[in-house]
Amino acid sequence: MGKSRSTKKPGINIDMTPLVDVIMLLLTFFMLTATFKAAESELVEVTLPQSVNTDSTRLPEQDILTLTLTPAGDIWVDVDSYEVRKEVFGDAFGIGLYHPDSTSKSEFELTGKVGDKALNRTVLLLDKEGFEKVINDLRIALKNMSDNARDYKIVIKGDKESNYGVVEDLMTSLKATKNTRFALVTDLKSD
Amino acid sequence: MAGGGGFEAAESYNKRQKKYQRGKKLGVRIDMTPMVDVIMLLLTFFMLTTTLATPQVMQINLPKGEEEDVVKVEANNVLYVRVSKLGNIYFSQGTADNQETAPENINIQNLRSELEARHRANPNLMMLLKFDRGMKYNLMVDILDEINRAEIDKRYTFMPMEGLDFEIVERAGG
Repeated sequence: MGKSRSTKKPGINIDMTPLVDVIMLLLTFFMLTATFKAAESELVEVTLPQSVNTDSTRLPEQDILTLTLTPAGDIWVDVDSYEVRKEVFGDAFGIGLYHPDSTSKSEFELTGKVGDKALNRTVLLLDKEGFEKVINDLRIALKNMSDNARDYKIVIKGDKESNYGVVEDLMTSLKATKNTRFALVTDLKSD
Repeated sequence: MAGGGGFEAAESYNKRQKKYQRGKKLGVRIDMTPMVDVIMLLLTFFMLTTTLATPQVMQINLPKGEEEDVVKVEANNVLYVRVSKLGNIYFSQGTADNQETAPENINIQNLRSELEARHRANPNLMMLLKFDRGMKYNLMVDILDEINRAEIDKRYTFMPMEGLDFEIVERAGG
């Protein structure tokens, strides 16, 4: 018995540490991507246009006021802070919807969906005045929360198939609320 | 008694297993390090590529539209960039007598070189972007991207299309 143990032992001397390292890395990686996916699923998804954009500015990490334009001509207003959402939309998962074209109904009102996806969030329907008020209120709410230290960066996430008319209406509203600095979100085009 | 019996059974089971594995186990001293290195490299690669694919932003600054911000531009320093509903781009340059040159259809591929050429001829050029409401947002981003890439002074502003603009675009071929 003693003999068999001595012949066997030298063979199973595998150092598990590197393997564990790799597994930990993989785990971290997949956990991070999973978090992104989860955050994405509660948003309105669009196909971004591509640009070469030589100054290569990245999307800011926090305090972003996202205005998502869908091909159906709807504008979704969303921020990344639960507290601000709760204060302005009355729900931590609230989201604003503005349909600039008053002659038609928004896609969400007609079908209850965005594209072909249902939206699991409390939707607040806004008209032009309501939309401009919400933009102002969101900034005020964030400023009150952080003693004027923080301010929203406005980003427009437009679907490449949406009409320019919606963008024009949106720019008019942004200008009316004194928001003349904003950014268009694009995907990197390899040129 | 029952406990002792159980112990014996476990020991004999272990013995059997050892016997079975003995021949195999002797040779399995595999060095994992190179494999780990490769996997780490692959991981780093994928992580970097995902970072590169994150969206970027295109900064836009609109004029504030307040009285003190009003900039007067000479009529001959204005370049009208009109885009029709169909996505055709027309350039026409303002002339000193408040008229403008006949619209020229510009291909999006030539937009940048055309802009650079016109800015070389007149460095004070101010672009008035008049986009049709029915045009796709994708084209707007493409045009702004070309303006950003061109080695010119990026002076532009957005203007809504009005009656005369529609006429000019219509006459030039829609």
